[in-house]
Amino acid sequence: MVGVRVLVSGMGSELGARVAGLLENEPWVGSLEGIDADPPRRRLHRAVFHRIVPGQHDRTVDVVTAFNPHVLLHLAVWEPHGRAGPATAARLTDDAATSILGAAAECRALESVVVRSGIEIYGRSRGSVTRPNEHVAPNPTTEWGRGLAEIERTANAIGERIGVAVGSLRLASVLGPHVPNPLGRILRMPAVPFSALADPPFAVVHQHDAAEAIVAAARARLNEPLNIVAPGAITMLQSIRRGRRIPIPMLGPEWALARGITHLIGAPLPEHLQEMLHRGRLADNARAREVLGFAPTTTTGDVIDQLYRWPSVVHHPARTPMRAVA
Amino acid sequence: MPNPAQRIAEVITFPARTAGSAVQSAANGTVRQVLAWTANEVDDWGRDPGFVNRVWSASRLRWTTSVGGLDQLPKRSGALIVVNARRFALAPVMAALSIGHASGRAVRFIGRPDVAPLGPVMQRLGGLLPIEAEIEGVLRAGEIVVLGANHETDNTVTGLVDHRLVGAAVAAKATVLPAAVISVAMRRDARVEIGKPIRLTRPRRGPLAELEIADIAQARIDALLDELGGTLTGPFDWLPIDWLPVDRLRGISKVVGI
Repeated sequence: MVGVRVLVSGMGSELGARVAGLLENEPWVGSLEGIDADPPRRRLHRAVFHRIVPGQHDRTVDVVTAFNPHVLLHLAVWEPHGRAGPATAARLTDDAATSILGAAAECRALESVVVRSGIEIYGRSRGSVTRPNEHVAPNPTTEWGRGLAEIERTANAIGERIGVAVGSLRLASVLGPHVPNPLGRILRMPAVPFSALADPPFAVVHQHDAAEAIVAAARARLNEPLNIVAPGAITMLQSIRRGRRIPIPMLGPEWALARGITHLIGAPLPEHLQEMLHRGRLADNARAREVLGFAPTTTTGDVIDQLYRWPSVVHHPARTPMRAVA
Repeated sequence: MPNPAQRIAEVITFPARTAGSAVQSAANGTVRQVLAWTANEVDDWGRDPGFVNRVWSASRLRWTTSVGGLDQLPKRSGALIVVNARRFALAPVMAALSIGHASGRAVRFIGRPDVAPLGPVMQRLGGLLPIEAEIEGVLRAGEIVVLGANHETDNTVTGLVDHRLVGAAVAAKATVLPAAVISVAMRRDARVEIGKPIRLTRPRRGPLAELEIADIAQARIDALLDELGGTLTGPFDWLPIDWLPVDRLRGISKVVGI
C-alpha cells in the first residue's frame, strides 16, 4: 500500500493541519491535498492546499474529482462557538458535508472515508448510559450532537451507495494549544462556574492523540464508529482546582446569567457544553485499542494540566536591528 | 518604665480575642478540609476513591464488617456479585464498600438514581445506573460490580434477582458470585460472605442462561443466609433502623437483652 492519495477536508483547522503534518511522514501516503475556508497555520511540506469556502460546490467538486482520492478524511466540522457561532457553524458544517462527501462519491478511486464525529452524538438524556460504547445507539440531545449524527448518516449512506468503507471517529472535546474550543476557553477564565448539585465527570482528548487516531483510522481503512477518549475522567470542580481558578457554584436559574456573562467576556457557553456541565460526558474507549491498536496516551487530567500551562500570550524578543553593511 | 496599661494588655487575653482566633482557626480548618476533599480524582466511571475511603471510615462508626470468601473473586477479570438486600439497609452499598476495602480493588454497585444531587453522590461512591449496557461495559473492563436482589423485609430470604442485569454479566463473560449480607439493627457486627462462582451444569446459548443463573444465585444466597443467619438475626430485624447507632445506647441494648 504505497502511493495512496489522501484528501483532508478541514485542513485549515488546528486538528486538520496536525493530521496533515502526520500524514506527510507516513510512507504509504503518495500525495496529499487539503480543502478548507482558512489556510493551515503550520508549515506543510508535501501537502497541496485549496482555499475553498464550503458553499462553493462547483469548485469543490472540480478539485476533489481532479485529485481522485483513495482516502477522504472529512474533518470540516465546526463546533458551535469553536471557530464560529452556532448558526454559522451549523451552516458551514452542513455545506462542507454536502459538497465534499458528494464530490468524493464521484471519485472512482475512493476506497475509504473517515469522518470526524464526537461523543456528543450519544446524548445525555435521563437514563442514558454513563459511559457508552460504540454499540449504544446514538440519541443526540443537543444541536451539535444532532449535526454530528447527520454527518455520520450522510457518510454512511454514501458509503453504502458506492460501496466504500466509512468509519467515524467520535472524539471527546479536543483540547490543545491554539485549539479553538469553548471548554478550553471556559476553563481558562479567572472564575469558572460549575454545577454545585451534580459536578459530573467528563473526559477530553488531547489534539495530538486525536490527530494520531485519525491517521491510524486512515491507515486501517476504518469501517465502523470508534470512540476516541483520553483515559480517566475529571469533574469541573477538580479542573478548576487544578487550574487554581475561582470556583463559582451554580444551583440552577443563575445559569442563564452565567451564560450571558461568559458570552460577554469572550468565552460563550454553547448548549452541548452546558449539558456536559450538568450531566457529564464520558465514553468507552476500549474498542479503539482493539481495532486500531491505538490508545490515547495523555490522560484527561494531564490534558487539563497542560491546558493551564499553555501561555495566554507568547512573548517573542524584539528583532535586533540589522547593522548597516559597509 | 513600661506603661502599666501596655503590660496588662500583654497579660490579659479578652474572650472576644480568644473567640476570634478560634473562629479563624475553625474557618481555616474548614477551608483546608474542603480543599482536600475536592482535590480527589475520579476514575473512568466517576468513582472517587478518596470519597469512598471517607465514607468507609465513617461507616465504621456504625458497623464492624467482616468479609469472607474473598478467594472466590477472580484475580483480574470482571465479576458480578449478587447480594440479598433488606429494605433501608443499603446492602449493595455496604457490600461494595466492605469488599472493596477487603480486596483492595475498586468495587461498584448497581442502583444509583439519575437525578442530582443523590445520583452524582452515589456515582462518586461507585454507583452505576441499572442499565444492561452500562453494567456490561464495566464488567468487560475487568471491574467488580455488586447487584442487589429485590428488597425483603428481613434477612431470612432473598428477593428476586433481576435476570436482565445478570444477562449483562453473561454477555461480558464475567463470573457471577452469590454473597450474603447480614446486618442487625441492634448490633455493630455485619458480615459479607461470598459464595462459590455460579456455573451452569448445562451451558445455554440463549436467554435461559441469565434466567437460570439468576435463580441459582437466589438459591445460593438463601443457602448462605441459612448458614449465617441464625447467629446474627435479631428480634428487631424487621425495623428500618439499621442506620441508627442504637448500639451506643447501652440501656436499650440491655433492655432488649441483645
